[in-house]
Amino acid sequence: MPRHRHSWAYYFGGATLFFFGVQVVTGILLLLYYRPTAEAAFESVQFIMTRVRFGWLIRSVHSWAANLMVLAAFVHMFSVYFMGSYAKPRELTWWTGCLLLLLSMAFGFSGYLLPWNEVAFFATRVGTDMVAKVPLAGGWLLQFQRGGEEVTGATLTRFFGFHVAVLPMLTTAFIGLHLLFIQRQGMHVPPSLEADAKRRPPIRFVPNFMLREAVVWLAGLAVLVLLAAFFPWELGNKADPFAPAPSGIKPEWYFLFMFEALKALPGTIGGFEGEKLGLLVFALAGIAWFLVPVLDRGSIRGKRGRAPIVVGVLVVLYIAATTLLSLFGVL
Amino acid sequence: MRAASLAALLLAASFAVAQPAPPTVGARGKPAEDGCTRCHAVLEDERLNAPALAAGHDIHHAVGVGCAGCHGGDPTSDDPEVAMDPKRGFAGSFGAQAIPDLCARCHSDPGFMLPYAPNIPTSQREQYRTSRHGKALEKGDLKVAVCTSCHGIHGMYPVKDPRAKVYPTRLVETCARCHADKALMSGYGISGDEVAQYRSSVHHEALTRKNDLSAPTCKTCHGAHGATPPGLTSVTDVCGTCHSTQREGFDASPHRDAFQSMGEPACEACHGNHAITHPEDRWLGVGEGSVCGRCHSEGDVQAKVADELRGAVTGAAARLDGARARVGAASRAGMLMDEAEVKLDEGNEALVVARVEIHTVSPAVVSKSTSKALDASAAAEKLTAEAEAELRYRRGGLFAALAIIALAAAALVAKIRQLES
Repeated sequence: MPRHRHSWAYYFGGATLFFFGVQVVTGILLLLYYRPTAEAAFESVQFIMTRVRFGWLIRSVHSWAANLMVLAAFVHMFSVYFMGSYAKPRELTWWTGCLLLLLSMAFGFSGYLLPWNEVAFFATRVGTDMVAKVPLAGGWLLQFQRGGEEVTGATLTRFFGFHVAVLPMLTTAFIGLHLLFIQRQGMHVPPSLEADAKRRPPIRFVPNFMLREAVVWLAGLAVLVLLAAFFPWELGNKADPFAPAPSGIKPEWYFLFMFEALKALPGTIGGFEGEKLGLLVFALAGIAWFLVPVLDRGSIRGKRGRAPIVVGVLVVLYIAATTLLSLFGVL
Repeated sequence: MRAASLAALLLAASFAVAQPAPPTVGARGKPAEDGCTRCHAVLEDERLNAPALAAGHDIHHAVGVGCAGCHGGDPTSDDPEVAMDPKRGFAGSFGAQAIPDLCARCHSDPGFMLPYAPNIPTSQREQYRTSRHGKALEKGDLKVAVCTSCHGIHGMYPVKDPRAKVYPTRLVETCARCHADKALMSGYGISGDEVAQYRSSVHHEALTRKNDLSAPTCKTCHGAHGATPPGLTSVTDVCGTCHSTQREGFDASPHRDAFQSMGEPACEACHGNHAITHPEDRWLGVGEGSVCGRCHSEGDVQAKVADELRGAVTGAAARLDGARARVGAASRAGMLMDEAEVKLDEGNEALVVARVEIHTVSPAVVSKSTSKALDASAAAEKLTAEAEAELRYRRGGLFAALAIIALAAAALVAKIRQLES
């Protein structure tokens, strides 16, 4: 492992993997009691939290670890981006990483509905509505997601299936590929840090780096335990499909940067539906972000320009600002 | 009630009183179509066209009783001279004094009313005769309410229609048109504040905020057609029609005979009449703000009983509030407190019963219920204590876990340093 002044960035991929591992373990434990039907889901989570020994801890850790996993994945992605580690020959690592981030967001989205509480129910209704805006296939995609016209018990069963079977399978496969590529190509050192890295002796992966990573994992575990004990994840009220939507419905924090922008857009922009146009822009931006190893011509030649850095800073500022402003109720 | 509406609409007929011939009616159950509304609807004078324009939603027209039902004349003729010919029974408009009998021609005739509304009472006219309004009218006072004053004249809605002037949510406003007029009421020895007082009451709150249409309005206590203030001794009966449990308690208490012998209105003495507010526990006892203290004074035997009642109820209420606060805190901390909440509900139920049993003024009776409330509070507190202990255990476990994690991390750091030194 190269050693330089930004070596800290190498730990976040591992931290994400740690939280994923926590999710797998706690998720399996939750599966012992969880029942994926509209009639029983809420009650079963309530049962887990109140009657099952340490159920409260497992459920709270599962919810918190999900959020920390997405957070760690975002930090990992941006550190990789700013160090230009996506550049040839590591495009496949970047692409599998991008897909893993999408998968972890899909985990969050599908898992959010599973307790079948009021907030999750309405947020899912709004979230799945967005899919209907996709040209041509929108209606079909909506039906496919919801298992019908509306968010019902069929949606819950479907989301459960994705959450515990499809997504874990895909994620495990992509993590395998991601790690394989890293193993084959080794760690990347940005050109600007090469001199620094040459001055210092590299860290041996086994056992030195692994031990350091273990300290990071222990810190992650401590944070999880603290959060779970002092801020137990609330369950809220059971979803009532016939009740009016409560005010202030918001998705999970990692969707806020999209949610707030779409909410702020006017109904129509230049004859196009505002929300549709917004989704199109986000889709194109996502594709551009995904294709950055190809689009960043400088990185291919080994000389990185300023433009990707400026774009990256703007993206980080935008996401951080909208997310924080929304969380603090300014937006 | 429907009969009352019908009676009021048959508005115009001093003539009819003189000649009690059956009113002119169209086909039963079919809207009345006649020359009267056809011509009057297009007249420019609002006084003349308004009744015809209102006929469209009028209950009497809807069931086939047209203008001629009250006003007489020939509704089949388009010639005004013929249609409004006194020889054909045309009576024109009517004075207030004629209206009760005009309406009664149909509404006091069970045989006539039967096909329209089989269950409608036909005693309104007789009741009206006994009312303050009816008695004053007989004495020639034309300012008092007659049928049309409350039910309206033309375009009358059925009583159960929310647009009707006597619908529960509109009735108070209808009575207030006269009874909130202090100048008018001063002539009858009435203050004119009654409606304003009623609007500050729990009854008005139930009617307007909780949308409880069964909440008492003016007529619930005073009667509708036989409107009269309840006599002093009958107040208990009037209130007791709804508050039967309180009445039972009161009837079993020494207060019943005491109030009767004094000729005082019982319920009213503590609760007031029009401005009835939410009862409070501080009304008990003889201290400040108490109602018992209005008759009993410190030191007498009854005052001791009043203080005992106050102690029992306020003690149980305070204990229950305390338990509720603790259960709430544990619930917010993530504990399932459903069993404790059931106990709180039980306690609240017992406290409600105790507050009703206050009317017996028997500490022995009341303390049975307050003891139940105290027991339920104690059970809720016990469950909360268990939940609080569990929370402390969790926090303790957390610190132990953190200590182990910190030790492990420290050991790892030491190992790394050793490896890299």
